[in-house]
Amino acid sequence: MLNGNVKLYSELGELARYLESAMRKIAEVGAPMVANSAQLPQATAHLLDLNKMTEDGTMEVMRLTEILQDNHARVAKELASVASILEAVDCRTLAERLGKTAQELGQDDKHLMDIMTALSFQDLVAQRVKKLVTIVEDVQRKLVELVVVFGLKQEGAAPEVQGKAGEMLRQLEASKSTAIKQELADELLSEFGFKQSGSSG
Amino acid sequence: MPADPNMKILVVDDMSTMRRIVKNIMKQLGFANVEEAENGQEALEKLKVDTFGFVISDWNMPVMTGIQLLRAIRADDKLKAIPVLMVTAEAQKENLIEAIQAGVSNYIVKPFTAEVLQEKMSKIFK
Repeated sequence: MLNGNVKLYSELGELARYLESAMRKIAEVGAPMVANSAQLPQATAHLLDLNKMTEDGTMEVMRLTEILQDNHARVAKELASVASILEAVDCRTLAERLGKTAQELGQDDKHLMDIMTALSFQDLVAQRVKKLVTIVEDVQRKLVELVVVFGLKQEGAAPEVQGKAGEMLRQLEASKSTAIKQELADELLSEFGFKQSGSSG
Repeated sequence: MPADPNMKILVVDDMSTMRRIVKNIMKQLGFANVEEAENGQEALEKLKVDTFGFVISDWNMPVMTGIQLLRAIRADDKLKAIPVLMVTAEAQKENLIEAIQAGVSNYIVKPFTAEVLQEKMSKIFK
């Protein structure tokens, strides 16, 4: 019985040491885990920015395509009208030439419609980005749960995350605030002696 | 029955780019009377106060999905005869079966071409 108790205490001691060691290791990884999880909201914001950028670009291509389609429709109508006049005055050769031009215009209309439908890529990209954002948010929620469960507190400000991911995120953030507009670029170029179009010098 | 070029068509999609694409194709195919809705609920409200001859709907949308809209249309005595074409990125067999069981008129997987849309329309309105 005594031997049994000694063995039990020994086993329990071993288990306690193992648990303490495990908790220490978890605490060690806690700080980088907290810091990394702090990056996730920024990363998701950039992903959503990506959606907005592709949407804006797609809308602009659509606007221009629609202008071309409307112009084509007007030209086709005009060509048909002129061709019928030429037919009436027996200028068949010219009427045929106009007919061929109208056919080519019709082919271009098809290409324009293909451009429009090809732009549906934006919808597919946006849907995938939304799914990625959901995944990232889920990962973040789980990391927060771990932080709470293991009491992994971050003392003071979160340390800057090192490595490729941290650097890329910093670049993305910087591109928001430091991206310069053309006017500002021209201004700076002028200051360094570059002649700008429209400038008097 | 062939499609009436004057019929009112409702395009339902939460993505403005997709609504514009479908609207553009419809215009090029000779259907200029096209209205838009951003989700199933908005679409259902429009369908209840106006007369539409055709609905083209996405599947994944906030508030009310395309499949929920389809079920709501088929459950409504006044709306149930409206042909509904689903245009969606949901390309799983289960999705298609679910849509068929809910009473979809035809199904297009994104990305698609104008020819595919035209072909599906001609099958619906033959």
